Amino acid sequence: HLHDSVLQTLALIQRSATDPDRVVHLARTQERGLRAWLAGREETEITSLAVAVELVASEVEDETGVLVDCVIGGDRPMDDRSRDLVAATREALRNATRHGGGAEVRLFLDVDAAATTIFVRDDGSGFDPATVPEERRGVRDAIIGRMHHAGGSATYDSSPAGTEVALRLPLAEGSGA
Amino acid sequence: MSGIEPSGIGEVAGDDPLADAAPATLPRIVLVDDHALFRSGVRAELNGRCTIVGEAADVDQAVAVILVTAPDVVLLDVHLPGGGGVAVLEQVLAQRPDQAFLALTVSDAPDDVVATVRAGARGYVQKTIAADELVGAIEQVRAGEPVFSPRLAGFVLRAFSGQAPSGAVDEEVEQLTPREREVLQLIARGYAYKQIAQRLDISPRTVESHTSAVLRKLQLTSRHELSRWAARRGLVD
Repeated sequence: HLHDSVLQTLALIQRSATDPDRVVHLARTQERGLRAWLAGREETEITSLAVAVELVASEVEDETGVLVDCVIGGDRPMDDRSRDLVAATREALRNATRHGGGAEVRLFLDVDAAATTIFVRDDGSGFDPATVPEERRGVRDAIIGRMHHAGGSATYDSSPAGTEVALRLPLAEGSGA
Repeated sequence: MSGIEPSGIGEVAGDDPLADAAPATLPRIVLVDDHALFRSGVRAELNGRCTIVGEAADVDQAVAVILVTAPDVVLLDVHLPGGGGVAVLEQVLAQRPDQAFLALTVSDAPDDVVATVRAGARGYVQKTIAADELVGAIEQVRAGEPVFSPRLAGFVLRAFSGQAPSGAVDEEVEQLTPREREVLQLIARGYAYKQIAQRLDISPRTVESHTSAVLRKLQLTSRHELSRWAARRGLVD
């Protein structure tokens, strides 16, 4: 398998990097591009939420140089509300990469009968909502506002171990928290 | 696969007296992967932390080496000439049901990974894993605990939600309990077992028993499908 060999090589590069951060970042960018090509994903016509989320994660990775690890636990077809969710996810990822101290950011997409939820987590020092700086509060409001607009919610859980935001979109519009 | 490499592929490394003198606490590993370069990289990284007692590059070699050396853990590539990692699992576990396997893969294809875990692997790690984490995963499997990475937890949640294409779990089969689902979700979100235990106000050992139960359910689904297949063909009473 040609593609298998390419992936193997990329795996080796990541393992043996002497300039870890930059080389890993380059390899990851190539890897994502190759996987997307292999899967035949058309960027212009994304019908799957999972694909849209992975592409947004790639974007933010390329933008910031911070690794975003996506775990996909399910999928749904894209609709207007999902587009709001994806936009909120992009902002949440940017936030996490900025405030997570450069360490890897984690994303988990959960789909069950009741709701679609995206968890974005960083291992940064966390923040006290009462003392959060103006700039960060503004971005947070954009995330919360966007989720409310879609009939869902954004909940923050912050501790010294890190910050996690849960972007939740209930299945039925208007029944969100 | 023809052509035995001079590095001793398919052979048992136990002739080396130094290997016999290695401390009993180091895990004894058989390394199964058809990419020689990858094997040598893993060998180098595990040097001094594990004892590699054998290597193999295809299914037949793997089964032979594993049965002869009886390692603590087999590092098993999901994709392998001659039937894949699943073929190795089926043949070895038929003769040695307690053999521990940790699956390795570059491919994130959920079906491949879930199939390997359902066939008996106690977890999987990506080939890009750092050496420290690999040794940690090996120790975990050796201790009888499944290695549930966030990605595997995600795959399993998908399989049980009926969304995985061909790796889907039969609806008639036992589903996950709400607590099991909760634990898997927290693993998928990147929390460590200790953190999960704190969040759910249970002990870390209880968290482990949930992940073991999930693994068992996943592996039982394979047997269930097999017996349904057999019943349909009138092979079972």
